[in-house]
Amino acid sequence: MKRKGIGALVIVPLLSIIISFLIGCIVIAALGANPVDAMRYLLKGSFGNVRNLGTTFSRATPLIFTTLCACFAYRCGVFNLGGEGQFIIGAIIACYIATKAPFTGFPAILLCAVAGAAGGGLWAAIAGVLKVWRGQNEMIITIMLNYVATLLMGVVYTNWLRDGSVPQTVAVPDETQLPSFFGLRATVAFPVAVIAGIAIFYFLFYTSSGFQLRAVGLNMTAAKVNGFNVKRYLLMSFIVSGAIAGLGGALELLGTQLRLINGFAAGYGFDGVAMALIASLHPIAGIVVAIFFAALRVGSTTMQTATGVPTSVSDIIQALVIVFTVAGMAMVKLPEFKNRFARRARKEA
Amino acid sequence: MAVGTPQTEVLRMEHITKQFGSVYANRDINFDVRAGEVHTLLGENGAGKSTLMNVLFGLYQPTEGDIYVRGQKVKIESPSQAVKLGIGMVHQHFMLVEAMTVFENIILGDTRSKGIFIDQNARKKEITELSEKYGLDADLDQPITELAVGAQQRVEILKALYRGCDVLVLDEPTAALTDQEAEGLFEIMNKLKGEGKSVIFISHKMREVLRVSDRITILRAGQTVETVNIGEVSGEELANRMIGRELKPSQYIKADSSGETVAVLDHVSYHKNSKHNGLNDISLRVHRGEIVGIAGVDGNGQSQLAMLLTGNIAPEEGSMDLKESKVVRFDPNGFIQENVSHIPEDRNKAGLVGNMSVADNLVLKTTRDKRFSDGNGLHLKKKAIRNYALEMQEKYDIRCSSVDQESRNLSGGNQQKVILARELEASPDLLVAVHPTRGLDIGATRFIHDTVIMQRDLGCGVLLISADFDEILEVSDRILVMFEGRIMGEYSGKNPPIDEISHAMAGK
Repeated sequence: MKRKGIGALVIVPLLSIIISFLIGCIVIAALGANPVDAMRYLLKGSFGNVRNLGTTFSRATPLIFTTLCACFAYRCGVFNLGGEGQFIIGAIIACYIATKAPFTGFPAILLCAVAGAAGGGLWAAIAGVLKVWRGQNEMIITIMLNYVATLLMGVVYTNWLRDGSVPQTVAVPDETQLPSFFGLRATVAFPVAVIAGIAIFYFLFYTSSGFQLRAVGLNMTAAKVNGFNVKRYLLMSFIVSGAIAGLGGALELLGTQLRLINGFAAGYGFDGVAMALIASLHPIAGIVVAIFFAALRVGSTTMQTATGVPTSVSDIIQALVIVFTVAGMAMVKLPEFKNRFARRARKEA
Repeated sequence: MAVGTPQTEVLRMEHITKQFGSVYANRDINFDVRAGEVHTLLGENGAGKSTLMNVLFGLYQPTEGDIYVRGQKVKIESPSQAVKLGIGMVHQHFMLVEAMTVFENIILGDTRSKGIFIDQNARKKEITELSEKYGLDADLDQPITELAVGAQQRVEILKALYRGCDVLVLDEPTAALTDQEAEGLFEIMNKLKGEGKSVIFISHKMREVLRVSDRITILRAGQTVETVNIGEVSGEELANRMIGRELKPSQYIKADSSGETVAVLDHVSYHKNSKHNGLNDISLRVHRGEIVGIAGVDGNGQSQLAMLLTGNIAPEEGSMDLKESKVVRFDPNGFIQENVSHIPEDRNKAGLVGNMSVADNLVLKTTRDKRFSDGNGLHLKKKAIRNYALEMQEKYDIRCSSVDQESRNLSGGNQQKVILARELEASPDLLVAVHPTRGLDIGATRFIHDTVIMQRDLGCGVLLISADFDEILEVSDRILVMFEGRIMGEYSGKNPPIDEISHAMAGK
């Protein structure tokens, strides 16, 4: 029974991806291009050589962080939609430290990472406190806090840390930038993201606190009756998920973007939510899904240059994957579907 | 509107059977309603009253049986069809849009208005006439949120009448009402009768049933016991038939215990004025090695008693001792640390995490234990947990395809065994068991009784709350009866005075 459940969690996303690509191919064919060629360039652009692979990993890194942020919160039943705001707060704090601190290099990087995570955690804690002690809906609060964070970032790059007359902040000094691998786009932020994912996986499935946190997420009443401190877990899930996003923001700033500018992190929060759902809230699967989406984004540029198929086809495919997976997951949960499945299994037995 | 003579039959349900899986909620039920009468459906919780009414109202399709409205055989497939046939229903939980006004609620779903505009004045006039005719006073422009429960109920009745119902189903209408509001409702019911409307009144409160009914149909365990005219039988007789007591001696040896107490309540009150969800000046004690049974019709404060004894709620007045020392902080975890085990009332909602495996649920409270993790919970020993689960599966006869199976896929009896295993393996000093065998088959029930008795003999004090009178008689060493938040009396579990107890359960 359990194995079958996991099977559905893998089969549904895989089928969704295949169907989405088939539809993508139809669109490409309708545009008058050769779908096979286009797909080949899409793949080549994202995984074709070490340089492209590095770019894919670099693009995947922030997505991994926001995906993990959503995974963690949702496991505790907390619908944190504020990954983007928490990410931005982490980046703002890192930007301040990197540009203003009297020291540079590794100590500055470390301080940026820790302070960025703390900032993201505190930002999420605002929603957490309002939810736990005042019963406010966390979805609305976290979404609203996204706007606050984005606008705050606007103040930062247009006023407080403006780079001359240009509406952007000054760049992070060279010594405080994250080291990259062999001149590739990917920096140490990528392995940090992967390690974070593994750590979250371990916490959720191999520690007592993670176990209790999941129990709170699945059945709050039972958790309370069985003596768990539900409020503590709820608040903890806000803070930890916010810290993950905040760390992501700090590392993205130090590794890739190097300065705050209009559009920084736009969409990362909701991308993370969608990817976490596709990954069935599994942190390791979340890493894979984030890399997959990053690959689609990176490869689409090569596809456009080589075959003239616009990058928006890749956006269509990404959107379809989300729609089909979410719909598929819902379908698997339908009682009619389950009954049919069970009946067939019984017949076979 | 069909106004018939008092003897005209308006509705008949013949041989109604409704099966859910292998469980019969209704079995071969016959029931009829005449014009201008109040016909009561009397039965305990789970006797099948609501199922029968949901069949009538088109929410369920009967597995077998026919429904006749004014002599015509009908098939009711949806509530809107029921409404067209002149059947109105006021659910126990009102179906009102709280943010809307009384008027808006009443015309909601109205099909009379042609076009896109509502002729407000004409509609309001119509409703006012209705409300005057039946004494259902209501301020049409007030939003529902500002109304008391009794007034909301009047809106529900008005809504049903406005849609032209001849047969009005009232599902436990007095459950949420004060005595005064209930009086008002009875007057309204009388007026309805006078106008030739019929009322199906669902209740298990003997006093009001005897007051308002013309005929009474008793349901028990999904079957019709009989239909009687008012005045033919006494209240006690009705209660006995409703509960369906069979005098058979208990198969367990009753214990005598007066030693150390594990739990003492001293004049405890909680939401004192709520008759059905509160506790009013309760004093009781549970000794080691005895089973104290709390008898009573469901919804007389039993849930609150269980919550209090497990630390889920704190008393407003009075005090509680646990193992002979005063409880200062009411918090479930603190009680668990004091070896209080709890078989909760709702096993799916409060007992199990349905999406977690059987094994996970078995160790739900004990993952920090050295047996199941290293470093106080820093690394779970998955293998040890699994082996423990296999051991429990064997010991408690939990029937599942694997201990990795999600617990929500288990049958009720096996779910209850998972909870039982978890709670009893903690070797509790106090066990609070609420409806532990509700909905279980005979085999599982027997197993749970045997296990609880065994625990008693090991020195655990047990407080058993059950609406199943037979169960209370079967296993209790001492019996307390609860009614409207109070304890009505205490009786020995050896040769219990059954008539006295059923008196007390009816609040006499």
